[in-house]
Amino acid sequence: MKNNLISIEDICVFHKIEIGFVQSLEEYGLIQTTIIKKTVFLDYDELTKLEHYIRLHRELEINLEGLHAIAHLLNQVQNMQQEITFLKNEINYYKHFNLH
Amino acid sequence: MEYIDYYKILDINKNASADDIKKAYRKQARKNHPDLNPGNEEANKKFQQINEANEVLSDPEKRKKYDKYGKDWQHAEQFEAQQQQQRQYQSQGNSGNGYSSYSGGFGGDDFSDFFSSMFGGGGRSSRQSPFKGQDYNAELQLNLLDAYTTHKQTLTVNGKQVRITIPAGVENGQKIKLSGYGAAGANGGPPGDLYLTFKIKDDARYKRKGNDIYVQEDVNLYTALLGGEKIVETPTGKVKLKIAPETQPDTTLRLKGKGFPVYKKENQFGDLYIKWQVKLPTNLNAEQKELFEKLSKL
Repeated sequence: MKNNLISIEDICVFHKIEIGFVQSLEEYGLIQTTIIKKTVFLDYDELTKLEHYIRLHRELEINLEGLHAIAHLLNQVQNMQQEITFLKNEINYYKHFNLH
Repeated sequence: MEYIDYYKILDINKNASADDIKKAYRKQARKNHPDLNPGNEEANKKFQQINEANEVLSDPEKRKKYDKYGKDWQHAEQFEAQQQQQRQYQSQGNSGNGYSSYSGGFGGDDFSDFFSSMFGGGGRSSRQSPFKGQDYNAELQLNLLDAYTTHKQTLTVNGKQVRITIPAGVENGQKIKLSGYGAAGANGGPPGDLYLTFKIKDDARYKRKGNDIYVQEDVNLYTALLGGEKIVETPTGKVKLKIAPETQPDTTLRLKGKGFPVYKKENQFGDLYIKWQVKLPTNLNAEQKELFEKLSKL
């Protein structure tokens, strides 16, 4: 388990970001951290999400409220894309069996 | 190699101020940023163009050179002048005015040939921050029955052999992420990821709907009328099925748990539906016809 964790401090140094930014993202429920012996860690799976928010914040100057809204909308887009895939597969099924 | 109109890309006029360029860049970047358009290759390409346009127009020296030589960049005389200027740029080093590029997708190679010929490889801002490598997207075609079992496949990604496990039950159009199989990171950053989309080919016999499988099976008139047995092929092997007397055409039989495996749920399967297609006899001989006639008069 510990092998999959990376300390927040290391990430902040690496990406040159304030630790407060990471804390705020967690407060907004956008990422999840793990505390082990008073040290805050991030799971590797969460790292991609964090880097995604760092890019949006830095490159497009999107504030935390904006990031929260974007996360929600991207989640909706992803769900809709999955639904489209599911519906396309359904249509394909009916096309082949000529069922109506 | 075509001339690229950076002003057009940013949708600004030639007299645009530095502030106008910054605003236009931000506006376009918000629309086309790859993080806001996952899987959208067109937006990704557009974002690269926007970055390239911004790289040039936000740097007064590069903009001056672009304005002066841009349209007639192919003229030899101007090439000479460009090269002279290029050396000058290289000695000047960073422009220091660019935004950091997205997820490492902007190595020098991502700039157009036009950009390279105008400004050379050293003409762009050098970026020292570590960036994650570019994510790759790929498609993998599978036969329907390949998706029935968990199996391994070796793919060639960017010249490297990658052996991956494909879990049973993947669906057509489903995308999975293979962390770290993208392009190498820049300045010590981590590698990007590989997003693999499964394209599952239609099967002549089995039709899949979610986790259920549908099959049409022929049964002759006599078995449909009088009942009997039939051996039917399923994805897991042959099964012997009883056919009840007076089975009607299109009667569907459900074999619970004989359908497709549920993705990443061990020992969970959909159902298998078998529809009986009653086939009427053809080319009847005289005796058969006579018997059917007798039967019709009973």
